[in-house]
Amino acid sequence: MNPWNLPDLGIGVGLRTVHFNHILERRPDVDWFEVLSENFMDTGGRALWVLDRVVERYPVALHGVSLSIGGTDPLDREYLRKLKALAARTRAHWVSDHLCWTGVAGRNVHDLLPMPYNEEALRHTVGRVRQVSEVLERPLVLENPSSYVEFATSTMSEWDFLSRLAVEADCGLLLDVNNVYVSSFNHGFDPRVYIDAVPADRVVQYHVAGHTNKGTHILDTHSDHAVKEVWELYRRSCRRTGNVATLYEWDDAIPDFDVVLAEARKARAYREAPAAPARRVARGA
Amino acid sequence: MAPEVPLDRLQRWMQKVVVHPGRVGEAVAAAARSLRPARLDDVILPSRTLTAAQRLSIYQNMYPLRMEDALEADYPALKRFLGDEAFGRLVRDYVAAFPSRSYTLNRLGDQLPEFVRTTAALRHRGFCHDLARLELAMTEVYDEVETPPLSPEAVAAVPPERWATLRLRPIAALRLLAVRHPVNAYFDSIRRRRARPPRPRREAGWLVVFRRDYGVRRLELSRPAYGLLSDVAAGQPLGEAVTAAVRRKGRGAPGEAQLYRWFRQWMGSGLFMGLEGLEPSANRL
Repeated sequence: MNPWNLPDLGIGVGLRTVHFNHILERRPDVDWFEVLSENFMDTGGRALWVLDRVVERYPVALHGVSLSIGGTDPLDREYLRKLKALAARTRAHWVSDHLCWTGVAGRNVHDLLPMPYNEEALRHTVGRVRQVSEVLERPLVLENPSSYVEFATSTMSEWDFLSRLAVEADCGLLLDVNNVYVSSFNHGFDPRVYIDAVPADRVVQYHVAGHTNKGTHILDTHSDHAVKEVWELYRRSCRRTGNVATLYEWDDAIPDFDVVLAEARKARAYREAPAAPARRVARGA
Repeated sequence: MAPEVPLDRLQRWMQKVVVHPGRVGEAVAAAARSLRPARLDDVILPSRTLTAAQRLSIYQNMYPLRMEDALEADYPALKRFLGDEAFGRLVRDYVAAFPSRSYTLNRLGDQLPEFVRTTAALRHRGFCHDLARLELAMTEVYDEVETPPLSPEAVAAVPPERWATLRLRPIAALRLLAVRHPVNAYFDSIRRRRARPPRPRREAGWLVVFRRDYGVRRLELSRPAYGLLSDVAAGQPLGEAVTAAVRRKGRGAPGEAQLYRWFRQWMGSGLFMGLEGLEPSANRL
């Protein structure tokens, strides 16, 4: 179990606009939903109304793309205020974002840009994670990114950086096993080494997703079923961490809800067999 | 040994490359000054299959696609009117002039109508400007805060002699538009997939864009109705607004029956959320 007793929410999927009607009308049997924070922070329209209906029935966790935890601009206090308010409104079990930066000099390129992995970047990021956790009054959870470049100025591996960050900043980890696979292909490392090195007790959530192999590199497109190698990495990691909340990401060419849910449920075959009768998780934190 | 590049300088350099509209070689050359004395190979490692520049180009290629996706979501009819190529050029020029400075892409297109108005090279610029204004109004209305409309009971409770001095407060999700081209009909034709959308001729029109039951609606108005609704929405006492509407129209002034039909339609559409100038108890009904 992680240091904060964050629960295993089971197998979830992302809450996406194209599935709103299906979810409201069919009330599908899914354990939990992951909510993209930025999609709901600045709207008072139907999206927020749907979210309010969803949190009445399902547990949720927030997942963001704009925190820019590795960025060198000051943290956006207005963003954090809205994020905290959304977390309270949805009774989110946790709030996650990515180990990346999204822009600098006041600009946002809306991409998850990679960090160099060295002492300067680690000190910088540790300090910012602590600030964010303090503002949110809860531990931040950070996801390992997919990346397409490696910096010559890196002095440690991504898994070493992530492991030290988790411990020194006292944050949780969202381990995206597809991202591990994508980056291992792009950078030429053994993904099993990465999986085996991550501090198991810090992992509070998994992502599994599909990708697009371009031959020379892999793009993290979230547009397909996951390949067997990714599922096997998930199995390997679950043996270390035990069962942890797992989410299937499908963000491009999104199929019917039942297709996404069926893909997500494959995770059951790769998880650890529960040692005891499955716990019921209270709706909301 | 390669020169160290501080994190802040590294991020500023990489951002310049990522947002550069040219080929990756041009982008790297244009950003080289902010990297000196380091060179590209001092900063980005090649992979087994890609050079450092090719790896960077993955991020650089994705940037315009992401911007176009975001703006297409808000301006689908404008894209349809301009065609893929011209819309792509417009997006490239627009984001160079108005890059995102927000954590959300929802506000990326806020300046697009004004940018269209001043883009001399654009075909049918006036039509495009009106179409962009309509689509921006729809986006704003979609996301506005929910403000429940006046109930029929609250309206019925107003003593007849009080109406002239009352002010009607509009719902937040309401925008009034005066246009010089048939953009509402064009938008309808695109949404209904009609084979022949109207030509971009000059034809004045007036409409109110509003949200009802979380759906965005458009209601075409006559010119006098638009004038009256604008005055009422701006906070003029009803008596003054009606008097002005009658005088504006001259000999063809709206009669009592016409005024009644307009207000009944506007009330029925839920365009107003409150009455000002009454005792507080009446507003609570």
